[in-house]
Amino acid sequence: MNRYHVLPTILLVTMLVTAKPSAASESKLGAAIAGATEPVSGQLVDAVIPLPENTVLAREKHPSGSFWVKTRKDQIERFRCSRCHSGKANQPQVNDGLKLAHGGINLSHGQQKLPCTTCHHKEQRDFLALEGGDKIDFDHAYQLCGQCHFRQKEDWIGGAHGKRDNYWDGDRVIWSCTECHNPHSPRFETRWPKTYSKTLNK
Amino acid sequence: MCSSKKDKEQSLLLQGRPGKKSCRNSRRTFLKGALAAGGAALLTGCGAMPGSSEEFALGWSEYFKKNYRLMTEEEKQETATRLERLADLKRKENVQISTKEAVGNVLYGYAFNISRCEGYMDCVDACIKENNLDRKEATQYVRIFEMEHGQMNVESGNGKYFHEVPVEDKFYMGAQCFHCEDPPCVKACPTKATWKEEDGIVVVDYDWCIGCRYCLAACPYWGRRFNWNEPEVPSEELTKKQHYLGNRRRNKGEMEKCTFCIQRSREGKLTACTEACPTGSRVFGNLLDPNSEIRYVLKKKKVFRLKEELGTDPKFWYFMD
Repeated sequence: MNRYHVLPTILLVTMLVTAKPSAASESKLGAAIAGATEPVSGQLVDAVIPLPENTVLAREKHPSGSFWVKTRKDQIERFRCSRCHSGKANQPQVNDGLKLAHGGINLSHGQQKLPCTTCHHKEQRDFLALEGGDKIDFDHAYQLCGQCHFRQKEDWIGGAHGKRDNYWDGDRVIWSCTECHNPHSPRFETRWPKTYSKTLNK
Repeated sequence: MCSSKKDKEQSLLLQGRPGKKSCRNSRRTFLKGALAAGGAALLTGCGAMPGSSEEFALGWSEYFKKNYRLMTEEEKQETATRLERLADLKRKENVQISTKEAVGNVLYGYAFNISRCEGYMDCVDACIKENNLDRKEATQYVRIFEMEHGQMNVESGNGKYFHEVPVEDKFYMGAQCFHCEDPPCVKACPTKATWKEEDGIVVVDYDWCIGCRYCLAACPYWGRRFNWNEPEVPSEELTKKQHYLGNRRRNKGEMEKCTFCIQRSREGKLTACTEACPTGSRVFGNLLDPNSEIRYVLKKKKVFRLKEELGTDPKFWYFMD
């Protein structure tokens, strides 16, 4: 090792010592996000954010505390179901009753086409039922859906799946599963797009 | 400032006589007045004489106002009031123009779920309506492209698909202004007519834009839109709740862009595109709140941003379920 090697070696060593980890994680934005660990409590913007009508407190926990979901029972056309489904047999004795009352239902949920009672309570028709038989309120259908779709449910509680209602600030109100998905055929239907998009450079 | 705005306006109305008060900018006031007389003659010559002297005076004060960022709270309010009155005089539009400032502890961020979007384009439509975009040129802030699997370049994406969606083996990807934390468009602007607000929204003061389009050239994401012609929005379709930096009427020769619906977001609302999305593919929220939806996405999902290597730090992430 002669004097021509000493300087480059020193330089190289200095560079290695002072080198920082990759630039991406060191960005100002990344630091700002990583630094914001204190939970925000209450409302930030100075505006009236009303808790919308027809919401119920969710029976789930979110890190920020409670949240609300939009109700569903008031949107079900034939609710309460017990108006027809009551009595001993629990089955209305009407000719073609099934066709007349529920003919519009296109059952296409699951590869094996799950029967009604997979989700609906066998005796108490105003409720849904968990796999184990527990009653579930229609407004809290997510408890039922989450039995199988537990990944989606986790994301729904966290916020990566589903929709928040109108406001990003204030009390957290989110849409229930059945607000977007028809429980009888949950896949979104194909339809024409509302408009078109121009190419990016126009 | 040694003379108040009111004094100035009065002196302007007095056919541009310089203010009597000994004042540092009396020369400027004089020049304004002199120009006023000339301007009036010019406007008459063009046949575009404003309907009333009130309209003329308001238009004049608007023309010589400061850059929005240099205005005091009061001056901002004044310009908003003038613009509201002008909208009423010119088109009989009853608009409310907000000058609401950013609040502390808020940094807006956006996430787009590429495995959920079905390409319905309800967002594109909602944005046009909310932000009073030019109907004639069909200006769009938000776009949706149909993409081949493996394709990640939105610049080659197809936004004109004439069939029912979604299509098997295709995915859909949206693009709009990404509100970079280090925005190259802002650096390019020679008149400082565009900047990043405290809450991270990149905005334009339309009245200070000279239409040079440097920002458009500087933006690596095609986030900006230029008004080559006088934008047209029918009065009955106009969104009346507006923000000075947001969806108020723009003119020919001015640059505009997505503002994360500043007139909505500063009121705590979600952006129009987020609200319109029927599949929940759009997530909007506060990056500084560890419990927000957007933070959940960043923490739990596979996310990526476009052209990250440029170091512009866009606040718009794509993610997958």
